[in-house]
Formats: sequence, C-alpha cells, structure tokens
Amino acid sequence: MNNGDKLSRTAETDKTETMEDSGEQGTELCSHHNVILKSYKNYDNFGVLSLVQYGPVKYIEWKAAEVNVDSDTQDQEWAVVSTGRSSRHRSNSECIRAEPLRLNTVNLKSFKVSRHRHGQHLTFAKRDESRSFITFIFYQANADIFVKSLMGHLKIYRSKKDKNLYHLDEDDNQETQELRRSFAELNLFTETTPYGMWNFIGQFRQRPYETTMGAFCKITDALLYRPAEDDEDDENHVAELLNQSLNNFDDPVIANVSGEEYEVIGSHTTPVLPSRPLVTRGSPLSVDRWAQAMDAEGKVTDFAAIKKIVFHGGVSPTLRYEVWKFLLGYYPWNSTYAERMHLRKAKVEEYFKMKQQWKSMTPGQEERFSDFRDRKSLIDKDVKRTDRVLPFFAGDDNPNVEVLNSILMTYLMYNFDLGYVQGMSDLLSPILQLMSNEADTFWCFAGFMERVCTNFDMDQAGMKLQLQQLHTLLSVLDPQFTQYLDRHDSGNMFFCFRWLLVLFKREFSQEDIMRLWEVFWSDLPCPNFHLLFCAAILDSEKETLYANNSGFTEILKHVNELSMTINIDSTLCKAEGLYAQLLSIESNLPDAVRIIIGLEPLNATAGDSEDDDIEDDDGDASTHAEHDSSIETVTLGALGGEVAFDRGINLQYL
Amino acid sequence: MAKTYDYLFKLLLIGDSGVGKTCVLFRFSEDAFNTSFISTIGIDFKIRTIELDGKKIKLQIWDTAGQERFRTITTAYYRGAMGIMLVYDITNEKSFENIKNWIRNIEENASADVEKMLLGNKCELSEKRQVSRERGEALAIEYGIKFMETSAKASINVEEAFYTLARDIKAKTEKKLKEASNPPKGGHQLKPAEPQRKPTNWLSRCSLL
Repeated sequence: MNNGDKLSRTAETDKTETMEDSGEQGTELCSHHNVILKSYKNYDNFGVLSLVQYGPVKYIEWKAAEVNVDSDTQDQEWAVVSTGRSSRHRSNSECIRAEPLRLNTVNLKSFKVSRHRHGQHLTFAKRDESRSFITFIFYQANADIFVKSLMGHLKIYRSKKDKNLYHLDEDDNQETQELRRSFAELNLFTETTPYGMWNFIGQFRQRPYETTMGAFCKITDALLYRPAEDDEDDENHVAELLNQSLNNFDDPVIANVSGEEYEVIGSHTTPVLPSRPLVTRGSPLSVDRWAQAMDAEGKVTDFAAIKKIVFHGGVSPTLRYEVWKFLLGYYPWNSTYAERMHLRKAKVEEYFKMKQQWKSMTPGQEERFSDFRDRKSLIDKDVKRTDRVLPFFAGDDNPNVEVLNSILMTYLMYNFDLGYVQGMSDLLSPILQLMSNEADTFWCFAGFMERVCTNFDMDQAGMKLQLQQLHTLLSVLDPQFTQYLDRHDSGNMFFCFRWLLVLFKREFSQEDIMRLWEVFWSDLPCPNFHLLFCAAILDSEKETLYANNSGFTEILKHVNELSMTINIDSTLCKAEGLYAQLLSIESNLPDAVRIIIGLEPLNATAGDSEDDDIEDDDGDASTHAEHDSSIETVTLGALGGEVAFDRGINLQYL
Repeated sequence: MAKTYDYLFKLLLIGDSGVGKTCVLFRFSEDAFNTSFISTIGIDFKIRTIELDGKKIKLQIWDTAGQERFRTITTAYYRGAMGIMLVYDITNEKSFENIKNWIRNIEENASADVEKMLLGNKCELSEKRQVSRERGEALAIEYGIKFMETSAKASINVEEAFYTLARDIKAKTEKKLKEASNPPKGGHQLKPAEPQRKPTNWLSRCSLL
C-alpha cells in the first residue's frame, strides 16, 4: 500500500540535497575558488564551487570560505547574523558555513553562463517542476574552465540555440532515476537520501548475501506493516501533494515558497521588526462628512480623504448604499450628479439587455448549449443554499432568492468565460441585501468581481499566488510561526483557502462582512491588506496551535472553526499594526515582500534580464518560469527562511 | 496520551456539486439535517468514532467542494484516503453520468487499493427520480464496488453506508495485520516505517532466515 507515499517522501528528501552524514569523503573532480553563492542581497559569501563524487553520484558542491560568524563586529557587507530562523542545523557560535550546499547533478536540468560586470554567473536550473534556479558568481573571473571540467565529468550538451546554455543529458540520468524510483518504492533504505541507496548498492557489491537478505526483510516489513503506518504519513503526503499543486503553476514572482528546494547553507537575517504600534479604529464616515466631500456639482473632490476615513472606521450604515457604488467603481469619484444619473440610466438599460439574453433562451437552445446549461444548474444549486438563514433570504419562494439568481445568471452572460464559480453567490449576497435594487446590485457586484476574479481562475492561479504571498509575508512578520507551519506540513497555507476565496464571507456575520469589505475596498493602506488581515488572525491563534502542537489536520480544523468568533475591530487594528511594522523596516524588506505590499522592489532588473534567463532549447518556455514582469525573484526554500534569488543583475552588494 | 480508538480511517466524500455530500456527512456525524445548507468551500472534515466487533474506529471524513474548478486542490486529499464515497443525486442524471469522471479521478489520484462505495443520494425524492436504482447497481457492479441508495434528509441508509465502508476497510486492514503478526517464526514485532532503523537491525530482526 501507499508505494507512492514512499516514493514521494524519498523524492522530497532528495530535494534538500544535503547529506546529514557529512563525514563522508567524496572525490573532488574539479573546483573553482572565489565563487559567490548568489542569494539574498548582502548575505553572500565567497566559497569554493566544485564537482564532487560521492559513490556513483556527482554533486555540485559549494563550500563557504571559513568565516567565523560569531563576530557581530564584522563588516556589514559580510555579516551573517544567525537569527532564529537560520540556525536549523547549527548553533550560533559555530562556523556557520561549515556545511556545504550540495546539488545532485541528477536533479539538474541545465545551466547557463552569463556575463556580468563583476564576473560570470553560472545558473543551474532544476529538472523538476519547481523550476528553481540557483546562481553562482565567478567573481572577477569566467566560468569557462569550470564548465569545461563539468563537461568532462558529466554528459552535457550545448544548446543549439543558445551557446551559453548547457543541458545535462537526461538519458544519462534516466537509468539512475529509474533505479532510484524502484528502490524508493520498496523503502529499503535507512537513509532516505539517494546516497542511502548507493550505500545499499555498495554493500550489495561487497556483501551480497547479507545485504540481500536484509533488504528482503525490509520488503516483508513493508508489505506486512504498511496498513498500520502512523497516521501522520498520509497527512504529510497530502501536504506534499498540496505543495506540489501549489508549486505547479507559473507564478511570475515566486517559484517556490513552501518546498525546501535547496538547503541554503548560508545564513541570512530576517529583518527584525520593531514592536507593533498601538492602532485604534476611527469613527465611520458620517453623513455630514460625506456631504462636505462633494462639490456643488456632486463630484467627490476629496476622495482620498474619504477613503482614509473608510479605511479607519468604515461607512455609517445609512450611507453604505451610496458610498459602495463609488468604492466598487460603479460611479467614478469625479462624476457629477448629472453624469451619475445618465450613467445609471445607461447601466440599468445594459443590465436588462443582458438579462434578456438568458431569459429568452429557448429550451431547444439550452438543450444544445451544454456550457450554459451546466453553469445555470450550478447557479440554481448555489442560490438555493446561499445565506438562507438570514431573514432577507429565508423561506420558500423568497423573491430575494430569485433576484440573487437573476443577477448571477446575468453575470454569466456578462462574463461567460469566467462562468459561475462557487463562492460568487457568497460575494453577491451582502451587496444585494444592502442595495436591494437589482441593476445597481449587479454593477456593484461586477465591480467587486473585478477585484477578486482571479480567485475563480480555472487553474486556481490567483488563489495559489495569494497563499504563497501570505506565506512570504508571514515569513517576515513571524518567522517562528512560519517555521512551525512549515514543520507541520502547513506551509502551503491551504487552511486559509476559504478565507481568501470569498474574502472572509464565511467567517463573519453579514453586518461584519460589510464593515470588513468596505475597509478592503478603500485600498488602504496597501495592496493585499487582506493578507495582513489573515496574518493578524493567525497571530491571535498561533499560541493555541503551539499549545496543542496542531498538525496539518488540526490547523485546518481550528481555522475552519474560527468562523463567527473573530473580532473584526481588534483584528483590523492588528493588521494595520503589522503593516506599520513592515513599513518601519521598509528598506530591509525582501523584494518579494515589498512587491506584495505595493512598494517598489529595490533590486529591479536593469532591463537586460534576457541575459539571465535560462531558455529551453526547444523554446518551450513553460518548463521554466515564464516571467512577464521585470521583477524576477525566485524564492528557494522556506523552512530556514526563504532566500530570494534575484534573477536580474543585482550586484549592489559587491 | 492513550488513544481513544483502535483504528483511524480517513474517508473522503466526492461527487458533483449539490448532490448532498455535506448533508450525508452531517447526517452521519450529527444525526441531523438542515435544509438551509451552504456550499462547501475548500475542504473540511468531521469526526465520528464508531464501534465494530469491539474495536473503536475513528472515522475522519473529508468533505470536498464538488465544482470541477476546485479539483486541483481537492485531489491532493485523495491519496490520504482509505475509503471514498462516490455520491450522486438520483434526481440528477448528470451527477450520475459524472460518476465515471470521479472514478477516473480516483484512479489518477488515490492509492490503488482504496475502498470505494457508490451512493445514490436524495432517494426520498422518488417523484423527481431520474436515475433508477438498477442503473446505480449496474454501475457499481461494473466497477466492482458496493452500492446503496441513501437519503440524508429522511435518514435512510447513511449509517449503514459508512458502517459498510468502515467494515470493508477494517477487514482489509486486519487481514494485513494478521498476516503480519504471524511471521513464519520468531514473531518479532517488525514495524514498517521506522526511518531511523539501522541496517544491522534489519538483519537481526529479520525472521525470514
């Protein structure tokens, strides 16, 4: 049973690429000194890059020059401060980089040499779907000799299209991988590293009889006892699969957050956050203040100030009906009374035109239009079970349920490609309850959908991105808690899925959700404030999770059960406080975090990113991350704190 | 801390949106039914401990969102499951036709020997029936799995269905355990997944020789 589990777990272990048994002596096949491991900003170091053979497996190994890091007094450029998140395998007083970084060549797909001002870069790409990169800088030198040496020891061919790109021959590794896979399935090895397997084979050569019998014994073990395996295995496996599914998409910013792709030996600091400022909520936007904000023609001239008030205190309930139309983009802030009247007239007309389209569909048409039929049936099913406990939607033949249905059906015609996705009815319900008017509700809903439509992507890319961004934020806000989640198979943040998909709709009462959403719609104080709101809730819950030593399932359960228990005001205050904390160390924030909260990245590439891109020979860019943004940051590893490998030219620290 | 159960079985409910997966689960875990149900977003689970032949069995039952859009996330849970309930709605032909897609999903994502069972839910709505019991049975036979028509609302067969699935998983598990506790000689307690085990231990503990 569960051979896949074993295989997958073995593969997972492979990824860390370190061998705990560092006493093993390998054979150095070639090496180059003064090579910098390009990791995050200031925290790089010189070292020796080499190709080392351990048993039959060859590793690219990078070993730091021996630097004793006890010294806080060191030049800032070189300070490798050992904070909590960095010292997973070593004590603070040790020479931190004594352990090398090892990359199994079997797992490497290609490498590329690129020229830069301070020396050539050698960038390796992994073979697996994570598309992670790791770059070494040959300081004031070129990598040619090293590459030539590699070619002498590994099966490498040069790309026909790009003379700087080299592929490691897959065929060369095929057999190795097959072999490893079949062994991994049997779980014969005490060590789960590939090295453990080779160790086994080595033993087999020397002592075939004992080794075989030992392995047979394990086979019986495996066959007999698998069903009784510890519960955790399945859990781990689910978490792994989630990680994979989260990583399998082309994220333009972060290729990998929750997997430990590379064991980055170099330690680096998390910027230390100052204490959280005390934040209080303000009063809601009042009728008087709203009236003041409009000029004689009805333009909201002072909309920035209005948004600020909304962010700090929301909108007083009597004004919501009016203000939401602005917040949701139905009415432009600078429109006059007269313009709004005309706009509304046109929009109402447009709405009923679209409504007519599905209303006039004949049964025959529907019969031959399965996409329409399927979506219609989904809406039908969901409308019947959306907030029916609220008086507004309660009871049989409630006309509001019918309106909910009509608006969703019309939205279907408005945006047929997106279609209807579960969760949309949740987003519509509070708006309808507030607006009552069908056409106004529709356009406000369409404005809301504009903001969150990526949540409903076919490939769930928007959701996956947000979960990763949340992890990235947490890793700076609370490294200890992030480590806890990673260690408990929850680094994928999947337990926040419901929060994000329907923007906390299922977690709060209708009144509270209106208050929360209007705060989010103010777009203050930063983009993705809702992720800081997630972080604020988690901050309040982490002690409970620690106390119960909650694992993957318990965390999910606990978070699901928080519904209707979260205090909206204190959580908003905390979220705002978290933002203030981040902002106060703004210049030390990793670019990945800066981007999420809307700050300019510090290390934006200088427009010659093609120099760094590793292209696929066959032009199939999908096997590598396809970057459409000028910010190219690849984050590797998360447990010990992720290291952002900026793919652009980033030599400010040299 | 002493375990309050002898076995923990993880079960999974899958099937089209709106066939009543959450209601079936709610009936089983709380013995209740609520007409004003909400769609499941993401994934959740409920626990109920049952007793079979004197053994306490903790059932951890995962409830998933049915819409295809969320499948990339929900399939990640298949592998951990020891039993899967495939649910369709007898008043909805499409949900029955889709069972074959769900089966394919299981084949692609779950472990090969996962116990499966087919449930035709909402059987109290006989006047709206679109899928006959015979067709349900025939499909179950085709896939070599057990079948029941259930009603979460009228509390028909829900209890029976979970007990049946649990019993089958228990039998399978105990068969393996029995074989395991009867090694040819020696009778050492070999445990399968102790990652720390040293090679010398496998030899000394091996009773095959």
